[in-house]
Amino acid sequence: MRSTRPLAVAMAVALVLAGCGSSVTSGTGGGDDSRAKADQKVYDRLGALSGADRRAQMVKEAKKEGQLTLYTSFTDDVATDVVAAFTKQFGIKVNLFRGNSETVLQRVLQETGAGKTGNDVVETNFAEMATMAQKGLMTPFKGAVLDNVQQTGKFDDWTASRFNIMLPAWNTKLIKSGQEPKSWEDLASPRFKGKLTMELSDDDLFENVTQYWLKHGKSQAQIDTLWKQIAGNAKVVKGHTVMGQLLSAGQTSVDVMNYSYLVQQDINRGAPVAYRGADKIAHTPGFARPNGVGMMKDAKHPAAAILFYDWLLSDGQKVLVKDGLTPSTKVPGDHSLDGVTIEPYDVKGLVANEKSWGQKYDALLRGVQQVKGGGS
Amino acid sequence: MTSITGRDPVPSAFSAARLARDVRRLMSGRTLIVAGCVLLVGFLAIVPLFYLIRDTFTGPAGFTLGAFSRAYGGHSQAGTMLGNSLAFAVGAALLALAIGTVLAYIQVRTDTPFKGLFFAASMVPLIIPAILYAAAWIFLADPDIGLLNAGLKPIFGHGVLNVFSLWGMMWVQGLHLAPIAFLLMVAAFRAMDPSLEESGLMSGASRATVLRRITMPLMRPALVSAVLLMFVQSLESFEVPGLLGLQNGTYVFTSRIYFVLRSFPIDYGAAGAYAVGLLVIAAVGVLVSGWLSRDTKGFQTISGKGFRPRPIELGRARPWVGAMVIAYFIVTVVLPIGVLIYTSLLGYYTAPSKAAIKSMSLANYREALHLPLAGTALKNSLILGLASATVVMFITAVASWVIVRTKAPGRRLLDLLAFSPIVIPGLVLGLALSFVYLRSPLPIYGTLWILLLSYSTRYLPYGMRYATSAMTQLSGELEESAQVCGASWWQTFRRVLLPLTSSGILAGWIYILVVSFRELSSTILLYSPGKEVLSVLIWEQFEDGKFTLLAAIGVLMVAILVVLVLAAYRIGAGVGLKTDD
Repeated sequence: MRSTRPLAVAMAVALVLAGCGSSVTSGTGGGDDSRAKADQKVYDRLGALSGADRRAQMVKEAKKEGQLTLYTSFTDDVATDVVAAFTKQFGIKVNLFRGNSETVLQRVLQETGAGKTGNDVVETNFAEMATMAQKGLMTPFKGAVLDNVQQTGKFDDWTASRFNIMLPAWNTKLIKSGQEPKSWEDLASPRFKGKLTMELSDDDLFENVTQYWLKHGKSQAQIDTLWKQIAGNAKVVKGHTVMGQLLSAGQTSVDVMNYSYLVQQDINRGAPVAYRGADKIAHTPGFARPNGVGMMKDAKHPAAAILFYDWLLSDGQKVLVKDGLTPSTKVPGDHSLDGVTIEPYDVKGLVANEKSWGQKYDALLRGVQQVKGGGS
Repeated sequence: MTSITGRDPVPSAFSAARLARDVRRLMSGRTLIVAGCVLLVGFLAIVPLFYLIRDTFTGPAGFTLGAFSRAYGGHSQAGTMLGNSLAFAVGAALLALAIGTVLAYIQVRTDTPFKGLFFAASMVPLIIPAILYAAAWIFLADPDIGLLNAGLKPIFGHGVLNVFSLWGMMWVQGLHLAPIAFLLMVAAFRAMDPSLEESGLMSGASRATVLRRITMPLMRPALVSAVLLMFVQSLESFEVPGLLGLQNGTYVFTSRIYFVLRSFPIDYGAAGAYAVGLLVIAAVGVLVSGWLSRDTKGFQTISGKGFRPRPIELGRARPWVGAMVIAYFIVTVVLPIGVLIYTSLLGYYTAPSKAAIKSMSLANYREALHLPLAGTALKNSLILGLASATVVMFITAVASWVIVRTKAPGRRLLDLLAFSPIVIPGLVLGLALSFVYLRSPLPIYGTLWILLLSYSTRYLPYGMRYATSAMTQLSGELEESAQVCGASWWQTFRRVLLPLTSSGILAGWIYILVVSFRELSSTILLYSPGKEVLSVLIWEQFEDGKFTLLAAIGVLMVAILVVLVLAAYRIGAGVGLKTDD
């Protein structure tokens, strides 16, 4: 017996099941409206409090809620320490989802798009926080802790909790002391021919250095030449971690940019790498990318959310310092910026034109001729 | 935005009377199982495919081909990259096929020494995550710091081996893929009646002629399946090209997908357009493979006639073959694992020296065993690996029976559908599944079930190829005899079909079990707090830059999975075709 009916029926059903629903990627800021209204009252009431009363009331209500769900792109060890410290201090259980920044963003977009917001707070990188803010998924925070946050870390719907410092890094066995890059222009020097490594997705560095050069009087033509020379000196690697590993192993000599905290971790493990010269000074100015925290508009645990926000910008900052990150507030014992000069990170330019910068950077790495005026 | 409303499996066009008749027919065991499996295969494949195609071909104003011009036009250099990809994929697939087939032949059909080593040589590259395997080869064959190059320097001069080349990429990917071919070919050789070859030899043909004219043609379904899987997998992978190719300026097609998936806002249309490009290549592959295996009777080596695969005596060649086996074992297992073990004992990777040896410790292993989520992650990975391997192999065994054995219309489409997930980027699969199950009344979002669905979808193509090539070797007369003797379809399936195809099914099962431990691209979006798996744990250490800890986890994973697979083989040896080894 040869049966054809089941196959046909099965296919039809599968099609029907799969076919319903709208585009998977069109999720825009949705969420649960009635919950958002109730949440806003909690946020307003607790946010308006000050002094000792503020923290006490927050803890009391958060304890009643019992738990907190955090989506973050903190690295594993930092996330573990942050959660442990928060739970230890307040006795509130934290459900932790860790992913890279793109994943955190996608998960939040998917869940809010379906009206099933799963997290109370989100902590991730600048570009993803900016996207969530644009979509109106988070609610502004009020409180005195904001006064301690550096000006470059304040945004309407979220606040920087830490900065990633972008600087060149080098292997101290392969680059003799004094020969290390001392400015961004320096990387175009012929002495680095074949010695540089660039990361596949560092378009925000590309944008920032370009703007920095424009600000310091270079013409676009000069800048294009510089980048072409830098790219000509370089090979390409995917991922800053791999890049750092290859630098430690002596497979590569200079990273055009790596995050200072990643390099510092390798230094702590004894690897012959550095982002500061023998004089303990980073002569190249670094860019500080703000990564931060936001409260969801329709959180299941709003009191816990605002408590976490408040805590991460105060007591929580010490945990970040302990783990080698650069905090967004002044914390005693933070040496991550010693000898480092910081240039402002171009928030506006990147929010407006990230995509075209990405395309220009991609074209630069691949050695494609660019159309005049294209991109920025 | 609409959501899934039509959960009723019967479209309204069916009249009540027809419905009743259909329901009665559906009551028979065979129809239920077959329809259930086909439905599941179709459903698993169609969900992500539907969203992929929808995002690719629709824009704000309805149907559009804009995604294709964004993806392939402008400065994308899509042609050059596709050329690189094809060269890389063909080279890697051919190398893997050659290695896998030769090893499988030696293992199954000869009395070679060191058979135990095959097992390790075939499994270990499969277990090690590609990123670690490629990194191990950088430390071995980098022109400047490569350990092999240091050893060869006195003879050949500086940097004779260069892993950062198209050849290097093919080599690393080929070695990493060889287990797919090995597993498939071992199963196929086991199921082959050697009397066909013996007749050839008796008739005066040389060994080479027998190999060329009898053995290889009989192996065609398995060979084609292996090539197809490895070729398409190389086309869509980015680990080896990302680590080895970029340094040399060799961009591949998937670097485009990577690029558009990480831009803001993510250009899903363009990503889809690239995936559709790969899908076309894969579809051609499936159709060609179906065509090459069209003469089904010609490949049926398991028939009513009993046979006992008997190993060929190698005679004087035995020591040479033995030496070859050891050489292969050293290259694919000892060297990379050696580098990983060495790395796992250090704080950061550095070339071997007195100082490096002095600094060695077991700290990374201690840290790995004390990771707070290690227990949970290992448990969840085991559950998911065992469950997805079992689910996939069961439904693909039934679906492959439909494709190979029946003349059901649409069976080619089913074959094609089941292969399609191989080209769908993991992130897109994750998005499609979360989209559906955030809106579905089925409460599986945030549980292990959604990961099981995702894994079952991802490994469907592999299960299908393994099951189909095994099913093709089985003669229809065995089922017919069973049915003549009064066995029900289910009894026949369970007592005749499954045992006789067991070496192929087991090979697929092992493959899925092992690689499911590595699945990350869809897992990372779909896992939930408390439902962590090993691949997420590994990724976390990687993100932290703890490369040496990662090496330690890799070594532990190899140890765990080797034990598991060994147990599976021991259990598997008790059923199905009996062999002398």
